Amino acid sequence: MPEVCDTALEVRDLTRTFGVRRALDRVSFDLPRGAFLSIFGPNGAGKTTMVKVLTTLTSPSSGSAKVCGLDVVQDAVELRERIGLISHNPLLYPDLSAEENLLFFAEMYGVDDSTDRVRELLVSVELDHRRLDLVRTFSRGMLQRLSIARALLHRPDVLFLDEPYSGLDPHAMDIFDSLIAQIREDHTFVMISHDLDKGLELCSHALILARGRVVLAAERAAVDSEQFKHTYRATVGLGVA
Amino acid sequence: MRQFKAILRKDIVMELRTKEMVTSMGIYAMLTLVIYQVALSQSGAAFDPRRIAAGLLWLAFVFTSMLGLNRSFVHEKDQGCLEALLLSPVDRPVIFLAKAIGNLLFLVIVEIIMIPFFSFLFLQQGSYQGEFWMIPLSLLGGSIGIAGVGTMLATMSVNTKGKDFVLAVLFIPLMYPLLLACVSATTAGVLGGDGHIQQFWTGMAAIGAYDAIMIAAAWALYEFILGA
Ligand SMILES: Nc1ncnc2c1ncn2[C@@H]1O[C@H](COP(=O)(O)OP(=O)(O)O)[C@@H](O)[C@H]1O
Ligand SMILES: [Mg+2]
Repeated sequence: MPEVCDTALEVRDLTRTFGVRRALDRVSFDLPRGAFLSIFGPNGAGKTTMVKVLTTLTSPSSGSAKVCGLDVVQDAVELRERIGLISHNPLLYPDLSAEENLLFFAEMYGVDDSTDRVRELLVSVELDHRRLDLVRTFSRGMLQRLSIARALLHRPDVLFLDEPYSGLDPHAMDIFDSLIAQIREDHTFVMISHDLDKGLELCSHALILARGRVVLAAERAAVDSEQFKHTYRATVGLGVA
Repeated sequence: MRQFKAILRKDIVMELRTKEMVTSMGIYAMLTLVIYQVALSQSGAAFDPRRIAAGLLWLAFVFTSMLGLNRSFVHEKDQGCLEALLLSPVDRPVIFLAKAIGNLLFLVIVEIIMIPFFSFLFLQQGSYQGEFWMIPLSLLGGSIGIAGVGTMLATMSVNTKGKDFVLAVLFIPLMYPLLLACVSATTAGVLGGDGHIQQFWTGMAAIGAYDAIMIAAAWALYEFILGA
């Protein structure tokens, strides 16, 4: 059993540059365990870059970030066991079946009871009847549900969601919401969203990024929705770093 | 080891399903060999195509493998699968080793198709005095280096725009020493004659040294290449 840690995220002066462009510019904030953080910001604000750094896919240029007390650079391998990512890309192999995809990732994560675990997740995302079909034949909504199953395989503590709603129809969104609601209790969430109402409704903490900088970081209870929307709209004019 | 097997098995299952790499490489290799044969058809009786046959075989094989290796990361890239792989708690060199071994396997299958065809086209005329076993052995030695370097470059090209270009530009210069040794060793097998045993083993030793150096370098650099 991995040690329990009260702080899910600990970000200090995190900076990531691409050439002269600062995608993240001295970003600092904390997030307690079990919280739901919604990250807002215009296109190019650095949201995806932040999630990539926190999920060890990109290294920081300077500053530090810890997830569950594990440093994104030093403890990368251990950290990866504790996190899951659902992005707008499904991150699944089109030429493998749903079941083969999940079994493959279960092997990669060293999930013990892989066959049972895969079956259990396929049932919970309502894809059990399609488990033998190639992923390339799946609809966008089905892909997204299978991504959830993939991200949950190894029972991670922190789930990152990068614009999970993009490309989903309203019905698929509802299914997605109810799946998230089912697992809300046991996980810390970090979600990037363009939908202000939805993002605010779900979250316990909110963060607005613009041009790589933190414009606002606050607990949900402490922000007024109208004021928040106003602040958000003001950042959209700021454009890209 | 568990992760290594999982990646390798996945690549083999996907290749068996799509047959993308092996078919495209196999057809390309055969066509190239046929074209060489046609190109040499007017060279006259005084010219013995066997003197350059080993070089032609390698020419065909190098271009074929460039074609195939470029494809080997396409499916990782397609739906962001490489990210999914990188998200899992696996040491980066394990990914390299699994992908390289998978690629080597596909290259060897292509060689198995190529060699009979090659000997049919180029080794039939007159009496064959070389030692045939040297040909597959030198091809195998060369493919290890090609799979290693090719896998490394294909990974780089995933993160680069205009990706085919990276592999094409860097592949040949990096391959140059290996190719010299390979052509020499294969020529010994094709022609036979004085000192061919010596020539073969000198070539093979150079191939072995190259393979070892390149694999060590790729192993050490892989984390960096992926993180670029
Ligand atoms: N791999 C990369 N190479 C160069 N620039 C990048 C790269 N990734 C992101 N950027 C730049 O960093 C900035 C932030 O991008 P991103 O994090 O994707 O924004 P968001 O997800 O908020 O829309 C943008 O200006 C983008 O062009
Ligand atoms: Mg983004």
